[in-house]
Amino acid sequence: MSPRTRHILELVLDNLVWFMLVFVLAVFSIFIPNFFQLGIFANIIEASSVLGVMSIGLALVIIAGHMDLSVESVAALSAMAVGIMFCSSGIGLGLQLHPEWLMVPVSLAVALVVGAVIGVVNGFLIVRLKMSAFIITLASYIWVRGLVLVVSGGRSAQDLAPAIRWFGIQRLAGLPLTAWIAVGCFVVFSLILAKTPFGRHLVMIGGNETATFRAGIRVNRNLIIAFVLAGAIAGLAGWLLAIRTSGATANLGVGLLFNAFAAVVIGGVSLKGGVGTLPGVYAGVLLLSAINTAINLMGLPANFTQVIHGLLVLAAVLLDAFKQTIRQRLA
Amino acid sequence: MKRLLLSVFGILALAFATLTPAFAQSKGTVYYLVPTLLDEFQTGSVSALELFLKQVGYEMKTLNADNKTDAQQSQMNDVIALKPKAIILAAVDFNALKPSVEAARAAGIPVVEFDRQITATPSDFTSVAGTVEIGHIAAEQAEALLKAKNGSVKGKILQVLGDPGDPYTLDIQKGFEEKMKAFPDVKIISLPAMQWEASNAGTIVADQILANPDIDLIFSHAAHLSVAAVASLEAAGKKPGDVMLMSSNGAPVGLDLIRKGWLNVEVEQPLYAQAAAVAMFMDKVANKQEIKPGDYDVLGLKSVVTKEAWGPNIKIPGAAITKANVDNPAFWGNQKPPTDTVKSVE
Repeated sequence: MSPRTRHILELVLDNLVWFMLVFVLAVFSIFIPNFFQLGIFANIIEASSVLGVMSIGLALVIIAGHMDLSVESVAALSAMAVGIMFCSSGIGLGLQLHPEWLMVPVSLAVALVVGAVIGVVNGFLIVRLKMSAFIITLASYIWVRGLVLVVSGGRSAQDLAPAIRWFGIQRLAGLPLTAWIAVGCFVVFSLILAKTPFGRHLVMIGGNETATFRAGIRVNRNLIIAFVLAGAIAGLAGWLLAIRTSGATANLGVGLLFNAFAAVVIGGVSLKGGVGTLPGVYAGVLLLSAINTAINLMGLPANFTQVIHGLLVLAAVLLDAFKQTIRQRLA
Repeated sequence: MKRLLLSVFGILALAFATLTPAFAQSKGTVYYLVPTLLDEFQTGSVSALELFLKQVGYEMKTLNADNKTDAQQSQMNDVIALKPKAIILAAVDFNALKPSVEAARAAGIPVVEFDRQITATPSDFTSVAGTVEIGHIAAEQAEALLKAKNGSVKGKILQVLGDPGDPYTLDIQKGFEEKMKAFPDVKIISLPAMQWEASNAGTIVADQILANPDIDLIFSHAAHLSVAAVASLEAAGKKPGDVMLMSSNGAPVGLDLIRKGWLNVEVEQPLYAQAAAVAMFMDKVANKQEIKPGDYDVLGLKSVVTKEAWGPNIKIPGAAITKANVDNPAFWGNQKPPTDTVKSVE
């Protein structure tokens, strides 16, 4: 194999998920009526904003060699906290701040703090007390969702303050601001992961925690920061979720965790830790969102959609496994 | 430390002694097995049943199955062991709970079906609005809305279902589509909002409004899905009235959307009346007395008790809520429980 062919092949393998995304979009555009239009592509990006943001936090923890199953419930609790404070219908307290724009940073801070606090609890129990991340965050997944039910009483908060809802309505270059927030998060955290010592240390910890510790890197501190970041980012996802649905219901975000895991895996992050990039994760998120949109437009009988969704995700993961095989042969 | 422990035990004993006479006055404990509490109708059903059963002398305890069939089966087994006066069951899955209903009745515990009808096995009483009937009412409303807009009953409807694993939504779909078959010029696009999750409904509406910009009417199977639908329409630059909207269950958020002009119709499940009917007949159920078929007045609604193959069944009609009657306090979405006390049927 010539060096040039090898170089091209490696480029394709490194960005396989992006090629898959382009391929899938092309196939859907050809075969699904009304799919090929700018509005639908904008919808795909918009619909992926909540899942995308949530996947960033999850990916950080997984790259560091751990796991956070609580992100979905954390997002729901943050959304409910914002909903209760800033919605005017249902259980919303209709809190008003003057000037009105103040509600944006305050609500965002509420969501981030709620998420970060749960991240601190998770991080402390997992890193300091050396408990299993799987078990601790599974417990958090359950008790935090329970807390949503407790604080809401099962009722919903609706009619989010217009100043906050503005982000869901206003568009910049055809995309709602919520989608730009998600894109911005991917850019910022991709740079953090690739260009800062903290990001590089996370990858090293995920690759070999003991060796990283022996190299003099503060493993525990970095891991706790990763869990706090995952919580805070999940809080941000909750804030976006509240904006997108103009409020919060007790079951908001149910099922997002599994999609976030799928996106992270499709995006090339290894569940064993130490491998993965955030642009890949974003491509995974867009791929899932494109599949969802295609299913919405195909008008299939309702009971078939889950099967098709699952099979398409499986196909994406199998392609990723195929990529690993080719890479091994190239090495 | 010893003194502290003694004080705690003392307070607990006092509290227990205070509570015991109250229990003694009760006619007994009834368990309500609610399918989920992540839904305003279900949360409302707990408080309504508690209120009305207390008025006729029963204490009620609630167990939440979190939408899990196996959890509800286990709850049934546990409750059977506790030998309550009766079990009120709103089944997560209609068919899967059949053996549990049979086990309870075999143990001498009457079973009341609430809101979700199980027809595969006999029970002691069933109180339903009729999910298929809700679909029928929704179809009548859709017929009127399309006729008013397009001159005849033609056009395109986007039907946003709940979770496709939930028989509740499938029954509404069945009823709705059954009636709409009479209008071949109406195209219905049906898509499920998985797990009844609002943002899923929002995504469906956002996609469909682009792919099918000529959608005349959106029918969501729950009011909270309509809220997300409205958010998507708003984001697409639509104003109230640009696309007609309709939903079912009559939750408070649905009524708010009617007041704001987004929602045209909300097909109500008569939650208060359904719960009141259970309380009215609880003495007969608990004492295993015959429930006579016929017309009954339940909170002012004419309701019919029939003898079905699965036992006595009361069906309480749902109502269409529009801007004209949205403030009627009888609708549970207005969160004003009836002040009249429910009395046991003699």
